[in-house]
Amino acid sequence: MKYLGWDELLPGAILFSFDKEMEKDACEVLPEERPYAETNSHEAYVGDWRVLKPVYNRDLCIDCQFCWIYCPDVSIISRDKKMIGIDYDHCKGCGICVEVCPTNPKSLLMFEERIENEKALAQWPEKE
Amino acid sequence: MSEMKKIKNLKEFSTSADRFEGANLLCPGCAHSIIVREILNATNDPLILSASTGCLEVCTAVYPYTSWDVSWIHIGFENSSTAIAGAEAMYKTLKRKGRLPASCEGKSPKFVAFGGDGSTYDIGFQWISGCFERGHDMMYVCLDNEVYANTGGQRSSSTPIGASTTTSPAGRISYGEKKQKKDMIQIMAAHGSPYVAQVAPNKWKDMVKKIQKGFATEGPVFINAMSACTTEWKFAPDDTIAISDLATDSLVFPLYEIENGTKLTITYRPKNKIPVRDYLGAQGRFKHLFRPEYEYLIDEWQKRVDEHWEYLQRREEAGV
Repeated sequence: MKYLGWDELLPGAILFSFDKEMEKDACEVLPEERPYAETNSHEAYVGDWRVLKPVYNRDLCIDCQFCWIYCPDVSIISRDKKMIGIDYDHCKGCGICVEVCPTNPKSLLMFEERIENEKALAQWPEKE
Repeated sequence: MSEMKKIKNLKEFSTSADRFEGANLLCPGCAHSIIVREILNATNDPLILSASTGCLEVCTAVYPYTSWDVSWIHIGFENSSTAIAGAEAMYKTLKRKGRLPASCEGKSPKFVAFGGDGSTYDIGFQWISGCFERGHDMMYVCLDNEVYANTGGQRSSSTPIGASTTTSPAGRISYGEKKQKKDMIQIMAAHGSPYVAQVAPNKWKDMVKKIQKGFATEGPVFINAMSACTTEWKFAPDDTIAISDLATDSLVFPLYEIENGTKLTITYRPKNKIPVRDYLGAQGRFKHLFRPEYEYLIDEWQKRVDEHWEYLQRREEAGV
């Protein structure tokens, strides 16, 4: 991405969220259908902030959506009232989703970044 | 006015498409973005936002990125309220003169200003007061984390008594902040604002209900949102919701609303009221209060919280 100097930006340092104007308001367009501009932080990556990563176990999830509402980084992907996964590009690994998960055993757990998700799922704890 | 978004339960709420983006630079576990998401998702109307200088502003608009999918402006530390009031006044005038573009037809945009407690309780207070006096149709949301977190944790007039901050450090001769927290809710209600409320991110249903009520209200609305700060309150990032639960259940942050400057309604009564000691003990900024010489402050805290709760209940009963 080419960085512009302060005097090359539009007056007032205007940044655009989308490449073209959308017909509908953004609240009616799902993220995967939005024409994100490269100046939108959706295009940025903060995954390297993480020390631990959350891993998601579909088999235990009851789709309560607590993780969705309390995620500060819009990193829990929910579609049609179902939780479908974690956005590892934007997750900073705070661990709130794991704390608020009500199932037993939890359907979200923190693992070290180097452990692959399949291996993490294989060592999932039993019910307490 | 357009129809209010129907949100019956969390599953229904989760079908909302966020207009706030990730990869902003807020700390992991920051409550600011939880609050912002809950507010933005509470409506399907077009939004026009502004933000005062503070964590939310510096972290969501770091060049070359913006984290907002709606119109958003930042001007200065003190004037997010007047910036949005100006936009609202202009919108009203263009509408009256019939000069709004065709794309605005049938829409009712909502005007929201965000500010931290520094810009609300201290620096921007005069500007907010002016907006409320003029009666703009807008909402002001204070993200109250009780400290100037963006600049390294200096005290603000929202900092509660006994908290250790960089400009009121606790040590051998001081127990930290000496002054009580300013009661902003009462001050804003005294402006005669049609709707003033205190919210917390962990009670999302209460929050969404109040925000929608605020959007439906004509006139200036003030929302004080408790925002637990993992960096300055000193707790682990994954405890944000747990700390918020402690705050609302110990009644340090009672959730209530005031309509038309007088009618007070308590919206959340904890089933199990927990002692203030538990709330204080969970945070590093109050660690020194547990030393024997400062222990009396915890009892004072408890007494103050109980008295305030009693006061709120009396006012609710009396309806004045």
